[in-house]
Amino acid sequence: MPDAQTLTLISPELLLSIFGLLILLVDVIWREKSQSALPWLAILGFALALAATLYIWGSNISLFAGMYMVDMFSLFFKVVASLAGILITLVSIDYLRQRTPYRGEFFAIFTFSILAMMLVASSASLLMIYLSIEFLSYTSYLLTGFLREDKKSNEAAIKYFLYGAVTSAVMLYGLSLLYGVTGSLNLTDIAAAFSATVDSTVRMIALVSTMLVLAGLGFKISLVPFHQWAPDAYEGAPTPVTAFLSVGPKAVGFAALLRVALTALPQWVLPAPPPAPVKEIPLVLAVVSIITMTLGNLIALRQTNVKRLLAYSSIAQAGYMLIGVVAVNLTGNSPFSGLNGILIYLFAYLFTNLGAFICVIAIENATGIVEIPEYAGLVKRAPLVAALFVIFFLSLAGIPPTVGFIGKFFVFGAALREGWLYLAAIGVINSVISVFYYFAVVRQAFFEAPKDATPIRLAPLVTLSLVVSAALVLAFAIYPQPLLNLAAWSMGMVK
Amino acid sequence: MSLDPLVITIIEALVKSIVVIVGLLTAFAYLTLVERYVVAKIQSRIGPNRVGAIGPIAVLQPIADALKMIFKEDIWPAQADQVAYTIAPGIAVGTALVAWAVIPLNPSLTIAGYKIDFYIADVNVALLYLLAIGSLGVYGIVLGGWSSNNKYSLLGALRSTAQMVSYEISLGLGLVGVLMISGSLSLVDIVQKQATVWNVVWQPLGLIVYFIAATAEINRLPFDLPEAETELVAGFATEYSSLKWALFYMAEYINMITISVIASTLFLGGYQGPFGILPGFHWLFLKIAFFIFVLMWIRYTFPRFRYDQLMRFGWKVLLPLALANIFVTAIVMVVLGR
Amino acid sequence: MDLIVFYLFATLAVIAALGVVALRNPVHAALCLAVVFISLAALYVLLSAPFVAAAQVMIYAGAILILFVFVIMLLSPGVDQGAGALKWQRPLAAVFGLALAVELILVLASAVLPAARGQYTPERLAQIGDVQAIGALLFTDFLLPFEITSLLLLVAMVGVIVLAKKRVRS
Repeated sequence: MPDAQTLTLISPELLLSIFGLLILLVDVIWREKSQSALPWLAILGFALALAATLYIWGSNISLFAGMYMVDMFSLFFKVVASLAGILITLVSIDYLRQRTPYRGEFFAIFTFSILAMMLVASSASLLMIYLSIEFLSYTSYLLTGFLREDKKSNEAAIKYFLYGAVTSAVMLYGLSLLYGVTGSLNLTDIAAAFSATVDSTVRMIALVSTMLVLAGLGFKISLVPFHQWAPDAYEGAPTPVTAFLSVGPKAVGFAALLRVALTALPQWVLPAPPPAPVKEIPLVLAVVSIITMTLGNLIALRQTNVKRLLAYSSIAQAGYMLIGVVAVNLTGNSPFSGLNGILIYLFAYLFTNLGAFICVIAIENATGIVEIPEYAGLVKRAPLVAALFVIFFLSLAGIPPTVGFIGKFFVFGAALREGWLYLAAIGVINSVISVFYYFAVVRQAFFEAPKDATPIRLAPLVTLSLVVSAALVLAFAIYPQPLLNLAAWSMGMVK
Repeated sequence: MSLDPLVITIIEALVKSIVVIVGLLTAFAYLTLVERYVVAKIQSRIGPNRVGAIGPIAVLQPIADALKMIFKEDIWPAQADQVAYTIAPGIAVGTALVAWAVIPLNPSLTIAGYKIDFYIADVNVALLYLLAIGSLGVYGIVLGGWSSNNKYSLLGALRSTAQMVSYEISLGLGLVGVLMISGSLSLVDIVQKQATVWNVVWQPLGLIVYFIAATAEINRLPFDLPEAETELVAGFATEYSSLKWALFYMAEYINMITISVIASTLFLGGYQGPFGILPGFHWLFLKIAFFIFVLMWIRYTFPRFRYDQLMRFGWKVLLPLALANIFVTAIVMVVLGR
Repeated sequence: MDLIVFYLFATLAVIAALGVVALRNPVHAALCLAVVFISLAALYVLLSAPFVAAAQVMIYAGAILILFVFVIMLLSPGVDQGAGALKWQRPLAAVFGLALAVELILVLASAVLPAARGQYTPERLAQIGDVQAIGALLFTDFLLPFEITSLLLLVAMVGVIVLAKKRVRS
């Protein structure tokens, strides 16, 4: 039996487990009568989990025989996860009402998927990393295929599942190699075992297994060449779930990648002092990053479905974020450590992308429109949505005064500091390309004549969450200090 | 003459296996006869009384049956999957037999300075071994049904898969109570721990859940949907004839003995008997006979379940009961501080 | 003795594994897979892990694979004719598979792999019993993964029922 201190430190996770089970139970007992209360129960759960996270803010301790780290790095992701949970639940309420009778199960599974995000962020052992990533994957597959009567939703779930099953098997293979060569599941022990040996084949195995693990995490993050599921899954999934897929798995995929890279494999990842050559793993990641952002952006140019467009855009965004991983350097006191860049970028991307998807949901809910040509004249029909679309797209493209700019600034800055000039240059070129397709949507919305001029009525909850995310995007751009502090603190985990 | 101890162990195991197998095959043969008398009594008939009759009992009937079976034509259905069709009955009998490797039949004896254990192996995961072997038994039926290339056979195979997978869970969970009380998975340990009080005193519900689930596992009425003759001709065994059919038949009866011996060992103290009268094996024999009689009694008294009833009963009655049993057992054990 | 048993079951496992890939009839392939599982279980027994062995047979051969067989029989896909759009992938797969095998053999042959470590030696396991050891670890050091697994399975079960169940609740 864990002691009271342990229970306090895992209270966000405990609260979400309890609320997830509670939603299932209430749904079973009261059925129809409880339907409208269930999402609020979920939101209460996320709010309490957020409060609990803030209560244990500043902890830095490892639990369960070193398997579970409660540190600033993981707490950062827990805050992100609970906020995303609240926003997505708010917009799901109206969306699901006409689309599925199994809303109780939806909110329960969704609560568990946020729980899984928190678990990934804290995992510090290969076993926990695999288990919690699988947990997140299962809930994501289920949510993607949740509209059982909708063929596209089914197709999306099947594709997502098949890809996920294969990549997770590959990742498991990599993890088992890591375990076999170091004899430990614990990330810190693995690092110790690696630094204790000079055998060159051990280095080979470390590289091979890292590549295999990268396949599994790359799938979650949707890096090329593990990205093919993303457009179909994003298009077919219920749109609030798409919003979740574009931020949740991606964020914690990066969390797991950073945790493994920086805790278990620092000597293969972190740069040595200057005369030494660039290491293999950052080099591979740099290539993946270039391909990912270029491919994502180029294909996004040709999309006409707004969900697919955002899917390719989110693939490209993963490429930018990966630059931060490539350029991680934790020595010295530079404000551009790479790590803080990724965290700021993730935070910015989270609310921006969620906001963009909430715009899509707002319109889809009222009219069913998801094709970009039909967005013509949106500014006349729903001026608020059209205006906020501009803000979110500015942020996604990384143009000030939005929080997206700050994210790109720190990521590209880290690349420049570490001498990855061409990487930063390609990143900037890609950002310019992305402006074209983002503003293709804006052009439709603002400068084309509407075919149907009836105003679009927005549900109050959707409007609320839209305004909240837009406010966050602008507020953190104007006053980024908390974000900068937050990201700087989170680096405590590797020091 | 001195032999390598390894060789002795191997020879000992071989001898014991042969004894158990021969014993089981004989038991199977006469069990068919016993069943016919029991059913005759239940249905107010006389039963077999011709072949080699001593008084009212046809002692040679099983031998006549066996000869008849051997000389029947062995039919190969067109387009049958030859390999699977042949090995399926073998799997059925094989899994029924190997379960006996871990069952203790009698307390150990020392004869002429040589200790004889009346079990083939004392594995410390014997209970799991039994469950594992039991879960493989379904392959015989499934393969037999599939390879016959016959609709009825295939339906029988599908039914048996669904049924066995569903009831396996309750079967295993029904035994967990015993496991919690005895703190060991070794059948030898479990029997020895019942020297004073049989497990059934603490685990009556466990016994009931186990026995019902086990009846379903071996496809005996009222759970004989895989071979329901009124619906599926003979289910998975429709195309089988001659010796191959006899093997399925044999597997069914040996399975009856197996589940009875497991129930006796885990719940009724195995070879432990009251008052120290009668050697251990006799007690075990009586307990097995009791369970087999109950099986026959049930078979000729209850009608068959409908398929949806079968599933509902398994998942919504038996499984919750098994879980509740574990829950209550755990609480009682904590309260009593054991 | 142990070595003889090892080679026996290891060979069986490899041959059966080849059968899984090579046999064209899906039911035969599934049967070969069952043989692989059972051979692996025998190897686990040799490694003084009888609990893992029993669980392997019970869960993989007895439950998961039997559901595979169930689905195969229900869909009766017939015998794989080896044609189709993916035919060109076969030689490619063989090349990559062979490359991986060579690579693994080279690495395993040259690497100085760490010796067995940890406190659970075969002697210690024989003394306390491997089921007892696993049980104790599951409820102490590995409590968190254990509980998460239970939640994961619950969610998977609820989700699958929602997705697959017949009647729609209105």
